[in-house]
Amino acid sequence: MRCTTVMAKQLIDTYAAELPSTVQQAVHQSTATTTAKRYQLLGDDYADADSLRKLAGAIRQHALEHLDTYLEQAEESLAARGAEVHYAVTPEEACRTVTGILQSAGITKVVKSKSMVTEEIHLNDYLAKHGIESVESDLGEYIVQIDGDHPSHIVRPIIHKTRGDIARSFEREGLGDYNDDPETITRRARKFMRAKYLEAGAGITGANFVTADTGRLVLVTNEGNSRFCLAPSKIHIAIVGIEKVVPSDADLAVLLNLLGRSATGQQLTVYTEFINGPRRKDRPSGPEQMHVVFVDNRRTQVLASDCKEILRCIRCGACLNVCPVYRQASGHAYRSVYPGPVGAVLSPLLAGDKFKELADLPKASSLCGACNEVCPVDIPIPDLLLRLRHRAHEEHVPSPGTPPMEGFALLGTHPLIWRAAMTFGAAKDYLPLDRLPVPYLGSWLKKRTLPKWRGGKFRTWMKSRNGKNGNTEVNGAASN
Amino acid sequence: MNAREQIFSGIRNALAPLPERAPRPEVPHGVADAQWLADEADNVALFVKRATAVGTKCFSSVSDCLSWLFEQQTRKIFIPDSSGEFAAKFVGFLEVVRNYSRDQVDEIDASLTPAAGAIAESGTIILTDESTPDRLAALAPWTHIAVVRKDEIHRSMADALAAMPDDPNIIWVTGPSKTADVEGILIQGVHGPGVQGCLLV
Repeated sequence: MRCTTVMAKQLIDTYAAELPSTVQQAVHQSTATTTAKRYQLLGDDYADADSLRKLAGAIRQHALEHLDTYLEQAEESLAARGAEVHYAVTPEEACRTVTGILQSAGITKVVKSKSMVTEEIHLNDYLAKHGIESVESDLGEYIVQIDGDHPSHIVRPIIHKTRGDIARSFEREGLGDYNDDPETITRRARKFMRAKYLEAGAGITGANFVTADTGRLVLVTNEGNSRFCLAPSKIHIAIVGIEKVVPSDADLAVLLNLLGRSATGQQLTVYTEFINGPRRKDRPSGPEQMHVVFVDNRRTQVLASDCKEILRCIRCGACLNVCPVYRQASGHAYRSVYPGPVGAVLSPLLAGDKFKELADLPKASSLCGACNEVCPVDIPIPDLLLRLRHRAHEEHVPSPGTPPMEGFALLGTHPLIWRAAMTFGAAKDYLPLDRLPVPYLGSWLKKRTLPKWRGGKFRTWMKSRNGKNGNTEVNGAASN
Repeated sequence: MNAREQIFSGIRNALAPLPERAPRPEVPHGVADAQWLADEADNVALFVKRATAVGTKCFSSVSDCLSWLFEQQTRKIFIPDSSGEFAAKFVGFLEVVRNYSRDQVDEIDASLTPAAGAIAESGTIILTDESTPDRLAALAPWTHIAVVRKDEIHRSMADALAAMPDDPNIIWVTGPSKTADVEGILIQGVHGPGVQGCLLV
């Protein structure tokens, strides 16, 4: 009611409003279906899935708070098995390291398996600038790549595209005449990708987990593309965020059981691959070299912040699927690599000195808490969103969409003005409120009637309830 | 300071102010087992049930496997020496290739390679570099058949993780290659096998 200026829309609302209804329906349907499958499967398979989530959260939190130990241990385990470990603080450094490895081996063509951290560091663009062809091998990521687009979901990168869009892209890329049959699209991709795998000098992957005790990189896919990236290539380069380390193989039993169920409603992803070194004399099939590039890209800053819990994330996308805001706005509205509730926390944190540009994202939430309830590692996302809102406030980031509250602040901090307002507030009952020049208020009041003014009576009421002994009637009754 | 030192000092500085660090939670073996696992007495039967549910075709005899391959009009199958006595049973029925080379990627319709084990709980086949002499051979053909020894079937994922072999590449295969990237419609056979078989011995 105190809002007297035109409310500016939040940026995310603008995106949601501009989203074609077909896309919005597709996003809504797909996310709702996956959410339902997740609930069904977890309910069927566990009497108490909630305590399993909490255990997984505790495993990840422990790993993060001992990252110095576990990262070093993972490095030793990998090195002992013949892998070369590199570190990169910045995206530029990570890209340079990868390019250096490829150039020194004379490699100009690589295939890539889906990896969020490589999206973060914009690896494909960097490689292209250095004359290295990098082809995304995950079907969805490949389509994103040929369209010069960005993934709009962590697990389902082309959730925002229709089969018609894809068929047109394939036709444009010379993969055959227009055909929007999903099976035909998939077969064409299979044929095209096969040639790419065989001619690639290196395969680039991310990692879902790294175990400290055995140095295993865990990669999960449904398509089998990560395995294909590592079958014919001479070199395997894995680009991994430093936070992916977990203590041991035994922890994977909890994490893998939750990852597939949370991400796609599968008990287990089709291909779950464990890699801890290049080929050996007695195991001569794989790549000759294995490189692991551990990337910081401000993760150490996040670890130092009051939002470190977000680093537990295992990138399942369950919080996107359940989020009412994501379902309306889709992924591009988050204007960063990570969309949805996890993105609303992680993206502003990873933005560094560009925090302000993404400081609106933590506000794009009703704090309904669904994201926390579905999170397989129990990240308290609503709490983190509040902490980031607080930070935005402390840093004086302008906040479109928030009604001006100065008037109320004045009232609330000056008892005299407050009491006066309470007395004269009764005038409200006689004012034509629906004609006030306040956006939305008029239309809102057309269908609703405000209750009669009772302001300012609380103290009187409270005093009247205090008995002579200073006890309220209710308390007195309760003690008898 | 190089990147490694910078990252480690960043981590240490971030963790230094914590009054105490989160303790390592106890992870009891089997804590994440599916609740119905306890009701299943027979590992082999459970494996077949779960594998079938994810789209893996299970066979208990070479002849069943062969007739299934005929149905799919398989012509050329790769069977490595490590498959032992099995290769002989296919010779005469199919063109059996004993050495896999990249030039033949498009010609070989099927491959039969020994698995390193299986997981009953999830219907998963376990392949390793030791058991599969050529990664590509178990991945590129449209049809892959893994030979699983019944006495090598682990009960749960947790059991399999507790007995991980020393191998640079262990892969759990739970059904044929799949995607739902195009409008959420499930299509099998994206990069890996479109048909996954399992011969139990």
